[in-house]
Amino acid sequence: MSQLSRLVRIARTDFSYFFRTKWLMAVLISLSLSDMLVMGLVYGRLIGPAYFRFLVPGIVVVGLFSAATDTGRRVWLALREGVVQYYMTLPIRTGGLVGAYIISGGLGGIVYSGLLLLIASIVVPPQGILNAIVLIPFLFILSTGIAGLAAFFASVSRRGEMYWVYAQALQVSMVTISTVFYSAQTITKYLPAPIAMIAEYNPLSLAAGVLRDSAFNGGPLDTSALGNLLAASLPLAALGGVAYWIILRTIRLKGKP
Amino acid sequence: MNRVLTLAAYNVKILLSQRTWFFLAWALFGLQIAVFGSLMSKLVSTAVPNYFFFYAIGLMVITVFDSGADVGRHFVEHAHEGELPYFLSLPISRGGFLAAQAIYGVANTMIKVLPPLIGVLWFVGDLTLQGVVFALISMFLLGLGITGIMVSMSFIAFKSVDIYSAFLAGLSALIVRFSTVFYPLIFMPNFYSPISVFSPLTYGADLTRWVLGFDPNFLLNPILAAAVVTAVAVGTMSLSARIVDKVIEGVKAA
Repeated sequence: MSQLSRLVRIARTDFSYFFRTKWLMAVLISLSLSDMLVMGLVYGRLIGPAYFRFLVPGIVVVGLFSAATDTGRRVWLALREGVVQYYMTLPIRTGGLVGAYIISGGLGGIVYSGLLLLIASIVVPPQGILNAIVLIPFLFILSTGIAGLAAFFASVSRRGEMYWVYAQALQVSMVTISTVFYSAQTITKYLPAPIAMIAEYNPLSLAAGVLRDSAFNGGPLDTSALGNLLAASLPLAALGGVAYWIILRTIRLKGKP
Repeated sequence: MNRVLTLAAYNVKILLSQRTWFFLAWALFGLQIAVFGSLMSKLVSTAVPNYFFFYAIGLMVITVFDSGADVGRHFVEHAHEGELPYFLSLPISRGGFLAAQAIYGVANTMIKVLPPLIGVLWFVGDLTLQGVVFALISMFLLGLGITGIMVSMSFIAFKSVDIYSAFLAGLSALIVRFSTVFYPLIFMPNFYSPISVFSPLTYGADLTRWVLGFDPNFLLNPILAAAVVTAVAVGTMSLSARIVDKVIEGVKAA
């Protein structure tokens, strides 16, 4: 069996674990649906009917983010409970193991956000269905980037519950300083320029923006936004991969992280 | 009484050792208020004047809810890590054990809520001693009610922690989104508002806003809110006392 087929096999096993964690699915689905169908509708009444259409693509991206960060939880658990020692007895290179984890995280994010996209299509019919399909590989890259970021935080969380501190801080800051809930113009108008810039280049903002413009509003695909999305996501995937690889190599050499 | 306080002091000491969590909670509160709160208040200002203050209190109520849920999780973890039989073997009544848990919950809530409350009231220029005291009483009662609900539900966890986590996640999503934590009841669609009146957070949030002087036109009747918050606190704490008394024996460690 080649290294690639072993990588695929491990990624598939890890990916199936995502669907076996039923409580996680319940958390994600209930949060995303209530954000979309309750919060979105009520804020739509407060701000204007167009707001619901604005928010729905953002909620799809937040769902992708939440599902992809589950990779961090699994890496953290594997490190904490010593399962990682077993992983290293598998006939696969450390790089392959890291790659399998990041890819399965990406798959979890894309499958979950795909489901949300389907639900969103019922409440807000998309004008550019073809664009939505074209965007899926880009969303997959974003999902691997977020999985990588979560893996990075899991790898550097040596102490007790520190991973959850990082995970919570990451989620709140990335979602709050983004254009998921408010437009870039609103942020630029009312908040200092550095915050507006962070929000503009936040991968969640980039993804929410292309989903809104191209998939839901039927505009042409913005190649520069897609380029920015790749440029923001790939380094995150690489960062997480390298951090996890270093931890695994340290365990291989010293027997502990 | 002394034994209850000793057990509570032990729990609170462990709580105080987790300083990172408190700093994180305050920092994230600050971030959400500064970014989400200020931007959304600009967007909804025509419908809800002073939405910034409305949202700040809602965020504090979410903190109270999370702290209550924390107590339930703490209780369940004790059970599944095998510590519960040890605690139950101590020379302390089941009611005393529950009271120690409740004190832990109240301490957790107050530490997380007090600095943001003072900070927000100072920022909006409405910082008064009586405002702080009455808001804390209102959130304290709400916190007791949430703790009671979470401990009452913990018997589910004695069968399966996964089901308990899923149940709580679903419950918290519904209880927060369908409440008046983020938006006044009068703006809710007709098909959602009947669900909203079943959420204790609706009453806790509106009562706290009322004692802090928010426009009552956007709030529930304060007498009704105070009555419901008190009834939920008393009712669920009594229920959890019965559960601790009757169901807790024979819990298997994971």
